[in-house]
Amino acid sequence: MLKDITFGQYFDSKSVIHRADPRVKIVLLVAVIVFIFLAQNYWGLLLSALFVLFSMIITKIPVKMYLKNLKAVLPILIFTAVINAFYGEGEVLFSIFGKLNVTTGGLSHAGFMASRIMLLIIISATLTYTTTPNDLTDAIESLFSPLKFLGLKTAVHTIAMMMTIALRFIPTLVEEAEKIMNAQKARGADLESGNFKEKIKALIPILIPLLFSSVRRAAELADAMECRCYNSGEGKTRMKQLRLHFRDLVITIFTLCFGAGIILLNIFL
Amino acid sequence: MSVLQVKNLSHSYGGNTPFINDAVNDVSFTIEAGEMIGIIGHTGSGKSTLVQHLNGILKPTKGEILIDDSNIWDKPKEIRKIRSKVGLVFQYPEYQLFEETVFKDIAFGPKNMGVSGDELKKRVLDTCRLIGVKDEYLEKSPFDLSGGEKRRVAIAGVMAMRPEIIVFDEPTAGLDPQGRQEIIKVINEYRHAFNATVIIISHSMEDMAQMADKLLVMSKGEVVMFDKTEEVFKQGDKLREIGLNVPIVTRVFDRLREKGLNVPNNVFTVENAVEALKKIKAGDRNA
Repeated sequence: MLKDITFGQYFDSKSVIHRADPRVKIVLLVAVIVFIFLAQNYWGLLLSALFVLFSMIITKIPVKMYLKNLKAVLPILIFTAVINAFYGEGEVLFSIFGKLNVTTGGLSHAGFMASRIMLLIIISATLTYTTTPNDLTDAIESLFSPLKFLGLKTAVHTIAMMMTIALRFIPTLVEEAEKIMNAQKARGADLESGNFKEKIKALIPILIPLLFSSVRRAAELADAMECRCYNSGEGKTRMKQLRLHFRDLVITIFTLCFGAGIILLNIFL
Repeated sequence: MSVLQVKNLSHSYGGNTPFINDAVNDVSFTIEAGEMIGIIGHTGSGKSTLVQHLNGILKPTKGEILIDDSNIWDKPKEIRKIRSKVGLVFQYPEYQLFEETVFKDIAFGPKNMGVSGDELKKRVLDTCRLIGVKDEYLEKSPFDLSGGEKRRVAIAGVMAMRPEIIVFDEPTAGLDPQGRQEIIKVINEYRHAFNATVIIISHSMEDMAQMADKLLVMSKGEVVMFDKTEEVFKQGDKLREIGLNVPIVTRVFDRLREKGLNVPNNVFTVENAVEALKKIKAGDRNA
């Protein structure tokens, strides 16, 4: 059951988006999110939807994967839609408790908000689906490197290193957790039945050993790194250099066109 | 009377993925009550996977496991009862300690079985006495103990459940020679006190020679030999073929025989060796 956890959700379908520079992908993702928020009418939303659909297609990732992602946030979607349905003007369709009115404007607003959230989630998923966790941390380190001039010389590298290590150890900890679960099951621990409170209590025999072993591992890793003279200072080179390619330019221009489209729709419609 | 029977057991990891991996393949054997069985095999030969089936931690892909002639998966809901019948001590069991005190940690297993009150207290204290955990340790935190002591407390946690069959996965791994001997002693004591059937996985041929009545040799997920310890150790070449070996003292005697000395070929422990040499010495004197 724990094996189902796939962190970072990387899905290698070898598309052009996979090969694009991760820094470009992060910056463009932020831009697209801003553009989607800028869209103020249904035409803008439609253009956003087309853009998102197009991104989905060129990533070559099965639609099923995206839907899985949406399913996870379904409660938030419904919550947002329901709340928004009460805030709007226009014809009152029906009311609850005499004061809460569901109006046509409210319903339209609810639909708009829910669609927007859906688009945001899908477009964010394209980043995690097409970029390995390590590429992501490299990109974050590179993007934050201007901070080095603010006297935060090592902080950027250190944070990136911490992220890399954290990602690296997720599978190790999952394996460890599984071993501990089996060991406690062998001692008759009941992890499946019982009510909510009992289930939480049943986790203690797993969490405490897991916590201990993570701390132990961290200390061992720190020692091993020091033995190899690790320092997070200057002068470090990279095995994998991030370089911009022509495809990155194409993706950027395409995204900017989408942004321009949104703004034009806002002005003229 | 057979207490444990494994019939055509197969297990493959990674069900529907392309990474399908047969860890155990068509394994069958029978263990009689009170026997001490050693399982040896190269790393990755499927030993650990095999023993995790014996108490229902893993479910077989194919085949069945019979304990006292009944299939343990007949009633999947009662699999936890099997776990009190077949105790399994995992590798590095000290990593599973979690309670505030040694007493509470040892009591965890029996408590899960529904033992409580005075009976629980008696169980814990008896187990401690059996394996030599001193009374003053009982209120200590298990995390304050030394490595060898932690290991013993963790083993006590399983023994306190009083399993009829107890399985150890490399119980002496990572311990110093004295620690190893202590664990072996503890296992023997439990076996004699409760007439238990014991199954041990080990990489130490010396430990196996000293303890096991029979050896189950595994290679690539299959059982290649299952015979009396001495019969298995007489087949050194076959063991070496699958990346194992005979005890060091046996190797010494083999070399002596190669050099033309007339020494016996059934020496597997240091005690055996001493006896054999004494006999030779006495023989010389007679000659």
